Amino acid sequence: CNTKKDIDITKLGVDTDPPELLYNQGLANIKAGNMAEAGKKFDAINQQQPFSEWARKAMVMSTFVKFRTGRYDDAVQTGNSYLRQYPASEDADYVQYLVGSSYAKQIVDITQDQRAAQQTIEAMSKLVTNYPKSQYVSDAQEKIRFARDQLAGKEMQVGRYYLERKDYLAAISRFRIVVEKYPTTNQIEEALARLVEAYYAMGIVPEAQTAAAVLGHNYPDSRWYSDSFQLLKKGGVEPSENSGSWISRAGKKLLLGT
Amino acid sequence: SGAGVITLASASVAEAAVIQRVDVRGAERVGATAVRDNITIKPGKSFSPSDIDSSVKQLYATGYFSDVHISVSGSTLVISVKENQLINAVVFNGNRKIKDDKLQGIVQTHSAGPYNEATVQADIKTIKDAYASIGRNDVQVTTQTAQVGQGRLNVAFVINEGDRTKIDKINFSGNQAYGSGRLASVISTKKSNFLSFLTRKDVYSPDRQQADQDALRQFYYNHGYADFRIVSADATLNEQSNEYTLNFNVDEGPRYTYGDINVVSTVDGINADELKGLVITQKGSVYSAKDIQTSIENISKRVASAGYPFARITPRGNRDLTGHTIGIEYLVDQGERAYVERIEIRGNTRTRDYVIRREFDLNEGDAFNQEMITRAKRRLDALGYFTKVDVSTAQGSAPDRVVVIVNVEDQPTGSFGIGAGYAVGNNGGLLLEASVEEKNFLGRGQYIRVAAGAGTEGNRTYNISFTEPYFLGYRLAAGFDIFKNQTSSDDFYDYSEEGFSLRVTAPITENLATTLRYNYKRLTYDGTNDWQNNLSAPYLNLVNNGPWTQSTVSQTFTYNTLDDQNLPREGLIAKFTHEFAGLGGDSNFYKLSGKARYYHMISDEADIIGSLTVGAGYVMPTDGKLNVFDQFTLGGREIRGFENAGIGPRSSHGDPLGGTTYFTASAEASMPMPGVPQDIGLRIAAFADAGTLYGNKANLFGDTLNNDSSLRASLGAGLIWSSPFGVIRVDYAVPVAKESYDKVQNFRFGIANQF
Amino acid sequence: CKTSEVMNNGYIFDPQSLALAPVGSSREQVLLSLGTPSTTATFDGEVFYYISQKRTRAAAFMKPKLVDQNILAIYFDKDGIVKQEANYALKDGKVFDMISRTTPTGGRDITFLQQILQGGGSGINGARNFLNNLNPGQ
Repeated sequence: CNTKKDIDITKLGVDTDPPELLYNQGLANIKAGNMAEAGKKFDAINQQQPFSEWARKAMVMSTFVKFRTGRYDDAVQTGNSYLRQYPASEDADYVQYLVGSSYAKQIVDITQDQRAAQQTIEAMSKLVTNYPKSQYVSDAQEKIRFARDQLAGKEMQVGRYYLERKDYLAAISRFRIVVEKYPTTNQIEEALARLVEAYYAMGIVPEAQTAAAVLGHNYPDSRWYSDSFQLLKKGGVEPSENSGSWISRAGKKLLLGT
Repeated sequence: SGAGVITLASASVAEAAVIQRVDVRGAERVGATAVRDNITIKPGKSFSPSDIDSSVKQLYATGYFSDVHISVSGSTLVISVKENQLINAVVFNGNRKIKDDKLQGIVQTHSAGPYNEATVQADIKTIKDAYASIGRNDVQVTTQTAQVGQGRLNVAFVINEGDRTKIDKINFSGNQAYGSGRLASVISTKKSNFLSFLTRKDVYSPDRQQADQDALRQFYYNHGYADFRIVSADATLNEQSNEYTLNFNVDEGPRYTYGDINVVSTVDGINADELKGLVITQKGSVYSAKDIQTSIENISKRVASAGYPFARITPRGNRDLTGHTIGIEYLVDQGERAYVERIEIRGNTRTRDYVIRREFDLNEGDAFNQEMITRAKRRLDALGYFTKVDVSTAQGSAPDRVVVIVNVEDQPTGSFGIGAGYAVGNNGGLLLEASVEEKNFLGRGQYIRVAAGAGTEGNRTYNISFTEPYFLGYRLAAGFDIFKNQTSSDDFYDYSEEGFSLRVTAPITENLATTLRYNYKRLTYDGTNDWQNNLSAPYLNLVNNGPWTQSTVSQTFTYNTLDDQNLPREGLIAKFTHEFAGLGGDSNFYKLSGKARYYHMISDEADIIGSLTVGAGYVMPTDGKLNVFDQFTLGGREIRGFENAGIGPRSSHGDPLGGTTYFTASAEASMPMPGVPQDIGLRIAAFADAGTLYGNKANLFGDTLNNDSSLRASLGAGLIWSSPFGVIRVDYAVPVAKESYDKVQNFRFGIANQF
Repeated sequence: CKTSEVMNNGYIFDPQSLALAPVGSSREQVLLSLGTPSTTATFDGEVFYYISQKRTRAAAFMKPKLVDQNILAIYFDKDGIVKQEANYALKDGKVFDMISRTTPTGGRDITFLQQILQGGGSGINGARNFLNNLNPGQ
């Protein structure tokens, strides 16, 4: 097949342009939309003087270029090696944000492995804790919230799988994880409504009532609450909170909003 | 890299010291800031000797320094370093089989990184391993460096790939019961031959060697040799010829049959006698590890559904060394009460969660039952969607809770294939078919196949088929097939058929399944050449009053216990179909047909496989007359030595009219082609076929009919080749009993083991 | 041949250990004799639920049908002593249609094109892939 010609390494000189020039050429390429060329320029600086200030800035841009061209794994690798070398530099928060965003871009549909969502949460949490004053904190939190919604969504998907098959025990355990571990996600209303369905289908009416009551307290105008309310009303029962039950305890926690 | 020497000035070691300044010497290229960033000691903060030690380690870890010294003089910390040379560019020359970016991914030396001898040597070894894994063991890797500017150099890995390392001979010693040829077919590694560059079966690797040893053990344990052990298994590389010789030295030991079989239960509520019926290992029959495993599974299933899922079944064998028998006692005792807390599915980057979860009969919250988990793993492997399926367990949130972790690795399930297929029509021959197939469409476990085939004499086939394995949540494989086939193999008419069928397949037991089908077919006969005065009356009718439609409902029962679908050696495959035509369309009949083929090893030693086949069919009209195409045709495919539809009732012009009733029988023995390497997969076979086709309920439009129920028979020999295009065979058969009007065809290409 | 199958899901009751956890026994005693509950109804375990189901399946392809379900609820007082036990049977269960609507979630889903590109494999892997998946037509 292709006979690759050998490269004569004696001629491979160091890119002699000064790092500053290479850096600006890189930026110009980005503006021109020529990402591949920009990447080469920034990598050249890094090769020439690996520890100079220019090399540091080049590494930031190289991570950005890799992120923009969709080479997420490379972006994560370059980003992380930057953070190992310059943990305290002023661009560190931006690179951490780029690493987190690279994972976020790889989040897949809830019927598949949510490893990327988990990694997004870890990377973005590092940003929030290590660089609290960074401008990217708000977007990082938004990405964390989305990733947690995904993880909660996966638990709901498996819970619904078991609920369909009348495996109430398995379903309740899954929905319960959403109520206890992911109360602030968008799945919480449905989780409580599914608990009402599961307990009611088993005939344990007091638990169903409590779940509906907590749902009503926290999300009075939610469609899920009206569904649960209708369901119980058809059975001649009102959502009422028997304070002893775990759901009402969880519900109080919801009100306080951890 | 050299160890750092820590010299500590006179400051007493015990109390922690504080320094105001950090002075860095010798880090021209790397730069002082990077060195300061990479140590744990900060000015103004107190530090202890262990901080110095960890700083030295950290600086070495960057790889940029060949030597590091940290000393304290007064209130300044002095770090003097000797820098490694820095790499400007890394290049790979001479590599063709493995691409640059793959090599760059596995070596540590990279541009802008430090150059040090140890890493380079390690990289050379990594490259050699990478080549060994694709069967090239005598690759030579050397490095060249070229200075570029101050303290900067380029590195080149020069690779001389050499050619593929072949496997010259595979020797077995110590085997009496089974011939070396037979054992060679058991292991996956094969001798090199002209196809090896495609099949890659002649690549030696230690873990493949291990897998082969397990395959041998499995083979012997399943054929009665309980004491079988592998004395030695080694591979010697002949450097000059760049070839391996594999040697397996085995000690078969005696062949055991079963002694007394017994089931004992220590769990009250489980009566051992009831379970005896589930055990398939009978006294006197040949010992087989597989039968024992199946017996355990049967007992475990029965005991679990009787409400004792925690019961554990352990087989205990007691050998009678003189009588060569093994008595098996199945002990049923109480396992520990554990429940499955969660089933975690990981690694599925394409297959949907529910496609994997639904293969478990065990749900979250159920009692932990190892047998059900092994069954689920077997089912997941059988799906063919994964390269790897690992099912492991981890401690749950309580002592009696277990988390089942299913780790899968999706594999590409789409494939483009070329294979041999049968053309349609009375004398359609073989054709080549190209197909695109996706076994796991969008990760939903659905199967899609689009294929088109072409052959001589205008033979064309097109078909699309789709299957959903879990129709509406039931374990029912429902799907449809759309097809269009045409041929102009007959001199006086072109035949084409198109249509669709809707089908649902339901498994009844592990080996028995039934399929309900609705089939709609449109047949057209176009007269060609001078057909008016060459076709017999019934065929003239077919041409003039076409196109014809058939709308039928059919049910098929398939029973399959073959040990291997491509080259079966043991087991039975049987099929029975009954079909009713008459929901509209031009055909009204009730048709029954059945076929069974039993495989049995005549001689294990010489790997001679015997097989007996019987078939029969009957069709009767349900409203008036049958059409010619409703009746059975019999020919070379069932009784070799005759043309397709070459047997049975014929019109005056010699056109086949088919028949209402047929019987066929065939006996065959095949063995590996002597003198040819096992890996090529050539076998020779001798066979005797017999059968008859008679009875006519079709409207002959006044034509005369040659029809009688005499037996036709033939003897012949065949060559079977398991080629990359499927298992193909060519047969030469001579009819020994036939009717004058039957059409003979001695040579015939076919697809082996087609059922 | 008898193809119907019986499946016991969830908690497996066993009569002797039930007798060991009467009203008045402590939480530890219940845990010791009955094991961890299928699910608990309070944060600090005010109520233990032991859920058990029995299903039958006439033939291998059928869906398992729920034929029996009983739930043991053990209510504890403030000091963790069993004050009441209740049983719910299959007949107590309510039958109704579950809501089919689901809360939307995000994340990339694989498109058919992606699967083909991803699935094809390039170079030698693609070629070998296409060769060893060969099967005769029809």
